[in-house]
Amino acid sequence: MSDTTTSEVPASLDPSIRRTAPAVRALPFLVALASPLILDNIGWNPFGGWKILVGFIILVCVGRFAWVTAERDPNDPRLALKLWHRPDQRALSAMTCLVLVALPFVLGTDFDPPMDFPWNSWFRIINYIILFALGAGAFNLLAGYTGQLSMAHAAFLMIGTMVGAHVGLIWEQSFWLCLPVAALAGAALGALFGIPALRLRGLYLMLATIGVHFIVLLGWKEYLVHYFGFAGVRFTAPSLPSWLHWIPGINPEDGEFLINSQFRWFWLNLTITTLGLLFIVNVVRSREGRAFAAVRDRDISATLLGINVARSKLVSFALSSAMVSVSGCLLSYYNRARSEDSFNLEQVLDYGIIIVVGGFMGIQGAIFGSIFFFALPMYFEWMREELPFISDIDFFSRYAGEVDLAIRGILVVVVLVWRPDGLAGLWQSGKKRLLLRFSEPKAGAVQ
Amino acid sequence: MELFASTFFDLGVNLQLIVSGLALGAIYSVVALGFVLVEKSTAVLNLAVGEFLMLGSYFGVAFFMERQTNFFIGTLVITLVMALFGLFIHYGIMRPMVGQGFFAIVLATIGIATVIRAVVQMKFGPLEKGNLTALPTGTIEVAGTSIRWVDIIVLLVVAASVGAFLAFYSLTRTGLHMRAVASDIEAAAGVGIDPDRAYALTWAMAIGIAGLGGVMLGHFTPSVNPALAAIGLRAFPAAAIGGFTSVGGSIIGGLIVGVIEQLVGGHLGTKWREPVAFGILFLVLIFKPTGLFGQKDLERV
Repeated sequence: MSDTTTSEVPASLDPSIRRTAPAVRALPFLVALASPLILDNIGWNPFGGWKILVGFIILVCVGRFAWVTAERDPNDPRLALKLWHRPDQRALSAMTCLVLVALPFVLGTDFDPPMDFPWNSWFRIINYIILFALGAGAFNLLAGYTGQLSMAHAAFLMIGTMVGAHVGLIWEQSFWLCLPVAALAGAALGALFGIPALRLRGLYLMLATIGVHFIVLLGWKEYLVHYFGFAGVRFTAPSLPSWLHWIPGINPEDGEFLINSQFRWFWLNLTITTLGLLFIVNVVRSREGRAFAAVRDRDISATLLGINVARSKLVSFALSSAMVSVSGCLLSYYNRARSEDSFNLEQVLDYGIIIVVGGFMGIQGAIFGSIFFFALPMYFEWMREELPFISDIDFFSRYAGEVDLAIRGILVVVVLVWRPDGLAGLWQSGKKRLLLRFSEPKAGAVQ
Repeated sequence: MELFASTFFDLGVNLQLIVSGLALGAIYSVVALGFVLVEKSTAVLNLAVGEFLMLGSYFGVAFFMERQTNFFIGTLVITLVMALFGLFIHYGIMRPMVGQGFFAIVLATIGIATVIRAVVQMKFGPLEKGNLTALPTGTIEVAGTSIRWVDIIVLLVVAASVGAFLAFYSLTRTGLHMRAVASDIEAAAGVGIDPDRAYALTWAMAIGIAGLGGVMLGHFTPSVNPALAAIGLRAFPAAAIGGFTSVGGSIIGGLIVGVIEQLVGGHLGTKWREPVAFGILFLVLIFKPTGLFGQKDLERV
């Protein structure tokens, strides 16, 4: 590509070409989103609002994709910052989306796999995987990207739960109000509890945040006893607001659509986790996120680069805590019951295991780690009960929980000793090897 | 207000609480010593110390309760077995992980803790055992109040063993090697000290002392159960208040935290113990991050 060394500026970097304002570019999407409401209101609705909506969105997406592809300049340095800038990434994301959309329908069938492999019970596991991926991603934003080892994770799960219980059950407001309030409360308290991070680092910060954990734990116990009694709190199933009832597949009973089955929770959890993880990925690619990485690598040299280290640390704490409280609120509503000892310090370590075994850097680690953490026990249980030779061993069935615990501990150590970059690293290197094999130039080809 | 209950200024009650607090503090000091020794020389935060202590208590159950071993022989054997376990941890897990991030190694110790907990529950069951009774169980009358013999003996045994350890650490040539490796591993290797051997010895001693502390803990608590491992976390304030880099400071920190916890627990209720201990930890870290006895490191960018 020697002919591009001329002073010609790529079209997308040329300041003389004005790009359309973001608000204008968002206009078609807004029209598409609003169109079913508008059409319903003027009484003209031959196909049903949602079909128009879906058609319009597909048109806009295809058009935009084609336009962007036509406009793309391979030398644009900003390309590396784009999400999904390589074809394999795009293909993989599309496949993941397809699998995720098909998953609940496949799991909902009464298919009975051979050897009594569990089928319907995977729903619960998958919902937990999705919810924990959100919390682990937020933990990773703080611990992995910003390098602030905080053990106050469970404290923010408690704060989210308290907000959910207070707004949803005591003030009897909608569940959908709980989530933003939990996010706000988490952000405010996260910035407050992040103040020690301005002075402390590494081990000492970890200890200080353990202090935060125990202080919030005391508050949670007092709150629970004061408002709900010793039996703990029971959450009600959230109901979908009525203005969303036009979405396909929503059949309200008595004018209400309760999110009370694993199938329905799957979609809610998936939506919120996807939004949250996309948010994290986008933050990490922004200036703020690069400042986080600079603070992690060496905060003193980050100051020399002109980064406001205190601000970066507090912003990271606030963002992470906001997302953790949202995930805590969701988890509590999903779990239905919370009691005094629902949150202990071991839970923080569980999240730690998730992100470190999954891979410390990157959002993939949070997902792989949650799968490791929840799917493996389920798999072991099945092996213990159904597989010949293994199910015959009396020891395994007698000490089921302990064997699971021991295997998990051993696996954690093995993964950490053998693969420091975690399961995500394993996945990346496997993918790279596979891609290299397919794209390997033939022997004797002209380079 | 219950803060000023009638027992608040009662000398007898306070004396009792202080003595049992000193005994608890002695156990905390042992745990904190385990933390500090390993953290100072190998830069690994060993979160499994509580589990090692629990393992020591359960070895105590196996030796003293089920086999009626002599106290001194049993304690010696337990300490040696735990030291061997420490050697295994160094050579099997920590050495292959050298150079990895701080958090990854911390989580590896959590993996070890998980395995220990699982194995202990497999062998001894999840139910609690009674406390160990190899030591005299009576009480002694001091200043109008009764003090358990166990508290006094625990205090004395821990003081003797920690004193012996400190003497070894500061007076012998091997102790000097360990201190040299802890303060600068490259310089130590440069003058011909084998860091690997010093690390292995550090792990063996830290885990061995934790085993001894476990035996003492088994005599001190009302019952030996898997939840004893939580003491590993409760000893954090002790280690941090003493300063994470000072071996002697961790012992004093342990005594301070033990007495404060027992006083707070006795006067305000047990639910305040952890918040108060960690609140003190929080304040110490904010105002004096290196603890009361820690040294301040200079840092190069």
